[in-house]
Amino acid sequence: MMAPQDTTKIVGRIRLWYGLLVLVIAVFGVRLFYMQVIRYGHYKNAALSDQLKQYQIPAMRGSISAHDGDRTVPIVLNQQLYTLYADPVYVKNKTKSAAKIASAIGGNPNTYTSLMSTKNTRYVILAKKLNEAQSKSLLALKLPGIGTQAQNYRIYPQGQLAAQVLGFVDNDGNGEYGVEQALNKQLAGRPGEVKAVTDVNGIPLAASKGNVERSAKDGSDITTTLNLSMQAQMEKILASEYQKTKSQELSAIIMDPTNGAIKAMANYPTYDPNNYQDVSSPKLFQNASVTNAIEPGSSMKVLTTAAALDMGVIKPNTTFYDPAHWVIDGFNITDIEEDGGARTQNIASLLNLSLNTGATWELMQMGGGQINQKARDAWHDYMVNRYRLGKPTGVEQGSRNYEATGLIPPPDDDGAAINLTYAETSFGQAVQITALQMAAADSAMLNGGTYYQPRLVDSVTSSAGQTTYVKPKVLKKNVVSPKVSQEMVPLMEYVVQQHRQEGFSYLNFSPDYIVGGKTGTAQVAKPGGGYSDTQFNGTYVGFVGGDQPQYVVVVYNIKPGVAGYAGSYGGQPVFSDIAHMLIDNSFVAPKTH
Amino acid sequence: MRPRQVSRRPQFTTALNLGRKHRPDYWLLILCAVLLSIGLIVVYAISPALTAAQHVKGGYYVSKQLLAIGLSIIAFIVTAQVPLNWWRRAYKPLLIAAMGATLLALALPVNPAYPAHRWVRLGSLSFQSVELLKFAVLVWLAGFLAGRIRDNSITDVSKTLKPLLYALLAIGVVVAGVQSDLGSTGVVVAMMGTMAFVAGLPLKRVFQIGGIILIGLILAVSISPYRRDRLETYLHPEANCKSSGYQACQALIAVGSGGVIGLGLGSSVQAYGYLPEAANDSIFAIYAEKFGFIGSVALLAVFVAFFARLKSIAERSDDDFTRLLVIGVLAWLSVQTLVNVGAMIGLLPLKGITLPFISYGGTSVVFTAAAVGLVFQASQYTSFQVPRASNAPDQPAPGAGQRRRPTGAVRRLDYS
Repeated sequence: MMAPQDTTKIVGRIRLWYGLLVLVIAVFGVRLFYMQVIRYGHYKNAALSDQLKQYQIPAMRGSISAHDGDRTVPIVLNQQLYTLYADPVYVKNKTKSAAKIASAIGGNPNTYTSLMSTKNTRYVILAKKLNEAQSKSLLALKLPGIGTQAQNYRIYPQGQLAAQVLGFVDNDGNGEYGVEQALNKQLAGRPGEVKAVTDVNGIPLAASKGNVERSAKDGSDITTTLNLSMQAQMEKILASEYQKTKSQELSAIIMDPTNGAIKAMANYPTYDPNNYQDVSSPKLFQNASVTNAIEPGSSMKVLTTAAALDMGVIKPNTTFYDPAHWVIDGFNITDIEEDGGARTQNIASLLNLSLNTGATWELMQMGGGQINQKARDAWHDYMVNRYRLGKPTGVEQGSRNYEATGLIPPPDDDGAAINLTYAETSFGQAVQITALQMAAADSAMLNGGTYYQPRLVDSVTSSAGQTTYVKPKVLKKNVVSPKVSQEMVPLMEYVVQQHRQEGFSYLNFSPDYIVGGKTGTAQVAKPGGGYSDTQFNGTYVGFVGGDQPQYVVVVYNIKPGVAGYAGSYGGQPVFSDIAHMLIDNSFVAPKTH
Repeated sequence: MRPRQVSRRPQFTTALNLGRKHRPDYWLLILCAVLLSIGLIVVYAISPALTAAQHVKGGYYVSKQLLAIGLSIIAFIVTAQVPLNWWRRAYKPLLIAAMGATLLALALPVNPAYPAHRWVRLGSLSFQSVELLKFAVLVWLAGFLAGRIRDNSITDVSKTLKPLLYALLAIGVVVAGVQSDLGSTGVVVAMMGTMAFVAGLPLKRVFQIGGIILIGLILAVSISPYRRDRLETYLHPEANCKSSGYQACQALIAVGSGGVIGLGLGSSVQAYGYLPEAANDSIFAIYAEKFGFIGSVALLAVFVAFFARLKSIAERSDDDFTRLLVIGVLAWLSVQTLVNVGAMIGLLPLKGITLPFISYGGTSVVFTAAAVGLVFQASQYTSFQVPRASNAPDQPAPGAGQRRRPTGAVRRLDYS
């Protein structure tokens, strides 16, 4: 029997202890209030930063097609291939797994073993670009820690065809160079997005509120203006003439002058975009037809002549006395020796003989008989505002500043022999013009005087299946009058016919077609100033058609190793091959009357 | 009375000072049932998350928990029905069984996922040896201290203090040292301390022992890098969110992101792999995420109501053994609750112990039920009133200070 005071004391201690317990629990309640009510926002944000995950659903990149007869053929496609990866943490028997992988898809089992033994990583790539069958056979092995991942690759079924025009897609899915870069946004589409509260492994919890989901919008399919057959055959011609003319770089463009559509555009040498990563010099990625502005030489004279005709200062049948040399700003402007010296000439012979003094005379006529401010202003207006030289064309190629601007000297007297400079521009020196600028300018000069923006895109088909055709974009009307256009055709035809008679027998075109052109043998500026005596660029501008010019062709042959004039021996044969190809394949409608 | 015999085996020769048996405290059962149901509902609600992570069948966790509850009902019936005096005398086999289980846990190979030697695995059955140890120590200490009160040697250093210290030392070495289970050690020590304090151990001694434990604790923390790490984590959980503080940090996030009303029963996110031990040690955080501040405070209120019943039963017990037993159970369950919840709300370091009644886990539920069974039996022998302090200093007025029913009505239980 215990003493009563003991019981009291015990009860007192129980109460004391219990009081402490309740006090601690009350503190817990206060703490809960602090955490769940006062600091709720802080913990909610911390929770969401862990729990809310954002994913991208990749969009399928659009294809790129070219015309082939009445149909279009994809020349750039996507292919789903598989990447084989391992999570080394989960791989059980590395040697055994490696042997099984090797027997399924080939390869060296030792390489796989060492890859799977990589430390401090959860993701090792064992093989890339496996096809679906290989992926399936690997998954059938059910190896722990081994998996495959589908990935879209860009493939170019035609290999090198139009490579520099098309560009390629890099490992990050960005278009590089060409159409792939210029139209990257349209081709790429918009990736989808999933924003969701997920479990710790990133699997969205269906129950969570506020999940955001936006499905991917696949990229648009692009149909180019390119004609597959023309492009392929022209590339073949370039490859062959590159060898024959011992060229350093050869470019050519076939353009529809009536709407600016580029039917074919190529340069040689080129590369295979399927293996773009093997290309050692990035220069090969560039489409020289739009990035390389050079002095075109005498092929410019058709533009000078058309301008003079349009101004009315000459007529197609005008004759003039050619002194065989002019002294301008104290310098001699001369013709080449074979042209036979001073005598009376006409416009046709001016072009055929490619008289520098003749082109200079035309420029003088623009100034009322001499090269002066008036002549310079007038000619500058034609070059820059009408032929749109010295400006990017805006063709769908590469990034914003990819295209070369070219150069047209300003007409104002700079105190450094400006009249001499302008005399030189009349026959294609002291200016820089890309092949595409030349093709567009000549098209405007020949089509009745409308400058169409050169373009490579014919239509765009959205992922929803809606096709939008690109309308030709007129950048300048009345470049020259329709009459001048008509007058230029026989003048240029005359040049081709005369050259044929003078021994270039390959210029033997059927009388059912009109074929005209103009050579250019351009002196190459030396880096330190002045011109090289040994290296020339051969250029050619021409057209092929029936009732009127149907195609404008421009050839730039950079520093061909030919004996004789680069224009006649480096540019002209390439044009001839292309013209024959167009006629032989019935790409040209013959004359109807 | 024969003094020698009394000093050697006091518990065996004296009857318990129990009053007449009366209606038990059914509130105790109701509150237990409420707590167990809450635990089961939470486990059920998060079992999709648990089963997804563990690759087991849908009902795995709920059915295992139901099995544990079934076993705990059996344990409850046993402890509630087998007379208290029998338990008082069974302390020795209980201690031996606890020691055996502890040794077995140390000897058996461990699960690599839980590298501490804390589990006894026999076939498909497994349990944590420390739970049995808590129960055995509870029963032994209640009897031991009651004996000391009776022979008035509660203040005696050699008779009371020394055995207590030896017991503390043994538990400290085995559970805290070898099993690295500082949480359970804390619960056992707190239980023993509370019982000794209530039994009348001089405050001076209480503080001395407290000081010794503190030194031991500091030593235990300073010699183990694992514990130093945990201390660092405890002090700065959110700075160590990606490393050692991951669980502590995720627990805080779970609790805090519950807000005032919670995300709702089915909407816990943290259970989906973010918060480790979501059904076991961390279940309070998941509960708080689901039910918010209101639900959390309500749960604490149920616990307080439950503890209040235990306190009231202890106060109104006539018998020292019974009283100390009830106080021991109160200390055990309340301290375990505090340590668990305290860790989840960032007030205490993470200890890896379960929340009584709520946490998934068979051993905890079964032994908790066994302890409650003892209290339930004790609730049948309480008086209606608590002694008033004003009666204490004087000679007892018959029937007043000791809340006696008429002596003739007292039914003495004597099993000796």
